Amino acid sequence: MTKTSLFIGLVLALAGSTCLAKGDAQKGKALAYTCTGCHGIPEYKNAYPSYHVPKIAGQNEAYIVNALTAYAKGERNHPTMVVQAKSFSAQDIADIAAYVSALNPAK
Amino acid sequence: MKTNTLLAFALFCLAGQAAAMGVKGDAAAGKQRATTCAACHGADGNKTLDNTYPKLAGQYPDYLLKALKEYKSGKRVNAVMAGQVQALTDADMANLAVYFGSLKGQMGIVK
Repeated sequence: MTKTSLFIGLVLALAGSTCLAKGDAQKGKALAYTCTGCHGIPEYKNAYPSYHVPKIAGQNEAYIVNALTAYAKGERNHPTMVVQAKSFSAQDIADIAAYVSALNPAK
Repeated sequence: MKTNTLLAFALFCLAGQAAAMGVKGDAAAGKQRATTCAACHGADGNKTLDNTYPKLAGQYPDYLLKALKEYKSGKRVNAVMAGQVQALTDADMANLAVYFGSLKGQMGIVK
């Protein structure tokens, strides 16, 4: 009995952790329109300092969530990205990450 | 004479642009240094340990170099990467950036 309830508890805990802020790629697609202004142009470069804007389509989902969250908190400090990320809710960030990570530009 | 000066100036500008466009590094030397990176970022730069780690394969070398330098200076904060980059020289970082950028990637532009 205790073992079973422990097991059920564990399953629920695991299910809960994976459900947390699950991204909706369809909603993310609409939100990601802004991203294309820089991340949608091949070989596009940041100015001062000059370097290529990173390829993000097909990047890992959790990495994108962490990156956007870090910009929103000011832990990463690209001015444009900070402004963009601050305008998004945690759900928006999850949605954007779901959409962007599911893209498969290599195909 | 005037043409020569103009030509020299044009070449100077082009050289500057070329330097900014591409990171000068040795991919083979980068590969030697990349064994540690492979544990999390994948040997091919695509198969990451889990999806909190970024794919590096095919990423722009100048972006990768910027990230490495910022981890080293502390401008970009990540406990794991801060530890990894301390032992790397500028040349090591350039070599790694060129190496991972040269691998066949799965990433591209957002459409």
